Amino acid sequence: MTIPSIVYDLLRNRRFLVGLSLFLFVVCFSLIGSLIYARDPFDMSGPPEQPPSREYPLGTDRMGRDILAQIIWGTRYSLYVGVLTALIAMPIGIVIGAVAGVEGGIVDELLMGLTNIVLTIPGILLAILIAATLPSGLRTYEIVAFVIGITSWPWLARAVRAQMLSLREREFVYLSKMAGRGNARIAFEDLLPNIATYVFMAFVLFVNGGILGEAGLSLIGVGPTRGITLGVVLYWAATMEALRRELWWWFIPAGVMIVLSTASLMIITTAVDEVFNPRLRGK
Amino acid sequence: MISKSLAKYLGFRLAFLLVTYIVALSIVFIMLRLVPTNPVDRLITQLLQLNPNITPEQLKEYMKAYYALFELDKPLWMQYITYLSKAFRGDLGFSYINVGRRVSDIIMSALPWTLFLVVPATLAAWFVGNSIGAYAGYKRGSLFEKTLLIVSLILSQTPYYWLAMLLLFAFAYRLNIFPPGQAYPPTMLPSLTPQFIQAALYHYILPFLSIFIAGLGGWAIGMRVLTIYELGSDYILFTEALGAKDSIVFRYVFRNSMIPQVTGLALSLGGAVGGALLTEIVFSYPGMGYVLNRAIMQTDYPVVQGVFVILIATLFLANFLVDFVYALIDPRIRIGGEKV
Repeated sequence: MTIPSIVYDLLRNRRFLVGLSLFLFVVCFSLIGSLIYARDPFDMSGPPEQPPSREYPLGTDRMGRDILAQIIWGTRYSLYVGVLTALIAMPIGIVIGAVAGVEGGIVDELLMGLTNIVLTIPGILLAILIAATLPSGLRTYEIVAFVIGITSWPWLARAVRAQMLSLREREFVYLSKMAGRGNARIAFEDLLPNIATYVFMAFVLFVNGGILGEAGLSLIGVGPTRGITLGVVLYWAATMEALRRELWWWFIPAGVMIVLSTASLMIITTAVDEVFNPRLRGK
Repeated sequence: MISKSLAKYLGFRLAFLLVTYIVALSIVFIMLRLVPTNPVDRLITQLLQLNPNITPEQLKEYMKAYYALFELDKPLWMQYITYLSKAFRGDLGFSYINVGRRVSDIIMSALPWTLFLVVPATLAAWFVGNSIGAYAGYKRGSLFEKTLLIVSLILSQTPYYWLAMLLLFAFAYRLNIFPPGQAYPPTMLPSLTPQFIQAALYHYILPFLSIFIAGLGGWAIGMRVLTIYELGSDYILFTEALGAKDSIVFRYVFRNSMIPQVTGLALSLGGAVGGALLTEIVFSYPGMGYVLNRAIMQTDYPVVQGVFVILIATLFLANFLVDFVYALIDPRIRIGGEKV
């Protein structure tokens, strides 16, 4: 099998490489970090409010817990929530969009009505509402991802439907229809591969939405209850007056990791878009 | 003059928003009825602690009165109907925690602060972000465009409230230039005196900046791409071939790429309000986010419910307003004709 030339284009794009390296760094940091740096993020392992030092590279919080350990584990679970969010939101958005686009008629009207309703009710508010009413024992990483996922799919459904509508009139679809293929096979086998890069970009945006959404829910006090994510670290810092006590090493690294992981993914999608989208390709 | 097609479009949007509002209200109702809390039990316990000599008959009277106050004495479907009809009239019941206080009073003292924060900051971010995004798209390949893209990518992924924390830490606690949070000095009462307005504006700068800066990036990124698309379209190539001045070409491109951004504004309002709620918590700014946060912590569900009912209603009104503006600037809707 030969490697398509577009892959070379991608590897020649400097923005893509920068984004990819940053993201790989974040992933490695979160996965391997705990092997090298073995402190428990919940352990009161040192004196409280220590500024960064040799012993505590990112200092300790007000309860003497190690912040570097919190960041390593927090990044891992923030990414976990992000990916899970994408895995929940993607299938819903794709299936609803594809079915609406291919079936048309009353099915289309109903599905798009539903989509527009969910789209118009702000996702973050809906997520706060659902998370706030769940008993706190139930708020695991998975449930938080689920809550963000089921409130964030509508824009993908609309986008997939629009793509399907524009592809539906192509010749290869008529050929498939003449061959007696059903709508479902046409949608998922003939049309979906055509929007693969689109779907990849949606995945990345959902991961980002999950990471940022989780951080928001955590800050308002309805994040994962017994877990640790970057949002939870920021929540601790905010509620335990890290600002007033000027413990900058507590809240700066957590935010930096959020921005690093989400921005590196955004840089990757922008680069992919530039390589694959002829209208954006350089002159 | 409002044309027929414009009226039809607006009527359709209004009907859609009404249906969606009822759906949203129903979701809020269902979610909050799933929570197993009974405010009456809590109040009765408090009552017994305050007055242990209460007779069982009196206790029964109290319970009846409390159930009636929170409207929990009726069947669920009747609660739903009264809730819906009252929600449209702005009657949101009573707080579970601050007994006797109307939810609408609590919210009406918070809503102006949130609007005062969100509306100017979002509009400013939208306008400035789109302008620099359009300019970057127009100056494709320049250093300005490349720098702006990276900066915008980072800004668009920066959580509002983390930016708020950074600004608060740097300008309030470290440099002591701005006050550390809240909307006005605790020694003052809200009034329309020049001193109070001055103090409020002084407290306003940091929260405003955090929402403004966090909002810029997304608009700039979107507008850059839209401008690049527009620049590649046939009518622009033709205009350029005719030898039109750069400023004229830019104006054409800008006006046409702004149209999707107006719809984008409507869709982004929800996210902006969500971000503002979180920013308010960081700044202890006495708006809806602060009220919501406290109500969630105290399990004061009528207040939580009220915050959502009012926020969603406000957002939908804003949505409708944006639709109206959209209809005015897009000739395809204003005059009618080809369907988009």
